[in-house]
Amino acid sequence: MKFIKRHISLIFPLVAILLGLEFFIVFDRTTDTYEKSLSSDYSIMIVAKDEMSIDDFKALDKHILGVKELPKPQALKNIYLEKSKNVNKAIPNFYEIKLDNLLGIKALEEVQKNLSESKSIKRIETFHSTYKSQYELFTFIKFSFGTFIFFMAIIGFFLIVKQMEVWNFMHAQRMKVMEIFGASLFLRSKVLINMAVLDAVISSILTSAMFVSLQKMWISDTQMEILKEHVSDVFLFSDFFILLFASIVVVLIAVFLVVINVKEE
Amino acid sequence: MSNVITAKNLSLSYGLEEEVIKDATFIIKKGDFVFITGPSGSGKSTLLKSFYGNLQPKEGSLVIGGLDMIDIKKSKLQELRTHLGIVFQDYKLINEWTVEKNVVLPLWISGYSTEVQSTQARRLLHHVKLSGKEDKYPMELSGGEQQRVGVARALAKNPFLILADEPTGNLDEYSSNVIWDLMENACQQLDTTVVVVTHKIPMVFNIAYRHFTIDERGSVYEVH
Repeated sequence: MKFIKRHISLIFPLVAILLGLEFFIVFDRTTDTYEKSLSSDYSIMIVAKDEMSIDDFKALDKHILGVKELPKPQALKNIYLEKSKNVNKAIPNFYEIKLDNLLGIKALEEVQKNLSESKSIKRIETFHSTYKSQYELFTFIKFSFGTFIFFMAIIGFFLIVKQMEVWNFMHAQRMKVMEIFGASLFLRSKVLINMAVLDAVISSILTSAMFVSLQKMWISDTQMEILKEHVSDVFLFSDFFILLFASIVVVLIAVFLVVINVKEE
Repeated sequence: MSNVITAKNLSLSYGLEEEVIKDATFIIKKGDFVFITGPSGSGKSTLLKSFYGNLQPKEGSLVIGGLDMIDIKKSKLQELRTHLGIVFQDYKLINEWTVEKNVVLPLWISGYSTEVQSTQARRLLHHVKLSGKEDKYPMELSGGEQQRVGVARALAKNPFLILADEPTGNLDEYSSNVIWDLMENACQQLDTTVVVVTHKIPMVFNIAYRHFTIDERGSVYEVH
């Protein structure tokens, strides 16, 4: 019981920090792919009186990645063909423009403004309202998640500071006595290092286990496309080593701060 | 006989405060048994602290076991301390460690094998009449027994110098006599230098000793 009590007080805040970190990694990985798919699905429709090449468009705005010319509507073509070839020339050209990433609302308006500066372009359709709602929902989810992760990390940090105070109370006497008898910094902190590293390993395993079960049980059954499509990205084996490294760094910094703050009487 | 402690015009103070020990000059040789007495607050413990590098000299010089204590490097100080035996009034035992582990602390720090540690612990605990209490924890022992553990720990590595700060301050007469006997034996049989800070020199003391006193102004005199 004493063993569990002694270890749980560090494992708990460590798991909180590691959960925050892993959520950040997973969320970043998943949303990055989703963001790319949103961006590739989106296009701006352009109606231009003259024929325009990709370079013409790129000269107008740096965010333009690709252009696809759309076939002119057949019915419209037939009518004009019947009348005269000159009229045919008057049929506008239709283009579908792809952007290099999922732009913010202001950046999209800027693209629209830049395109409208061209005298050849007659009309620009950005599907503004659909794009806006999709973009805002996406950024809101991102922001909410970021805030949640940030607060988890803050709580974890304060719990670790509290744990450092407990360590100081529990280990200061031993470390002071050892220093009087000539023990090196490493020997003085050895007990604490062993305990902290063990807790770091346990915390990394626990956090990894949580994500593996999340991946195997919940996400496989979910209807959320963003997760379902990238279920294998939720937890990668390499994440365990990232978590282990992060937790060991955190505990070693905490141990070092405790040890150097123990002053000989 | 070689010099174990050499102080020349030694002054000690805590930070920028007024000097606690002023202009002290003395030599303590190998095998000496020295009592340092003086009124409360005169600087007895401060002087002892400077012997194990807990306090740096403000002025003058202090050489312990051939090492100049002024601006001594941390590694050198750690090395020096592994050759000292220190006894405190409040014992300074590690409460979460057993008696045996406490006794062999200096050996553990110096990297001795567990076999050597165990043999030495049994021998020392027998010497301080605590055989059979190896697996007890300090809090399970009386004050006198805890101090005997402290003395055993101080003797663990056959130090060249034992420093004791009021070692019998918290003990009854019987326990105090046991501690004095152990100190006398260490000095007489092992030729260890012993420096004891105390309020009162024991009435019965069986070996020759030197007596330093510190007055209220922080001056150190040798009485005899």
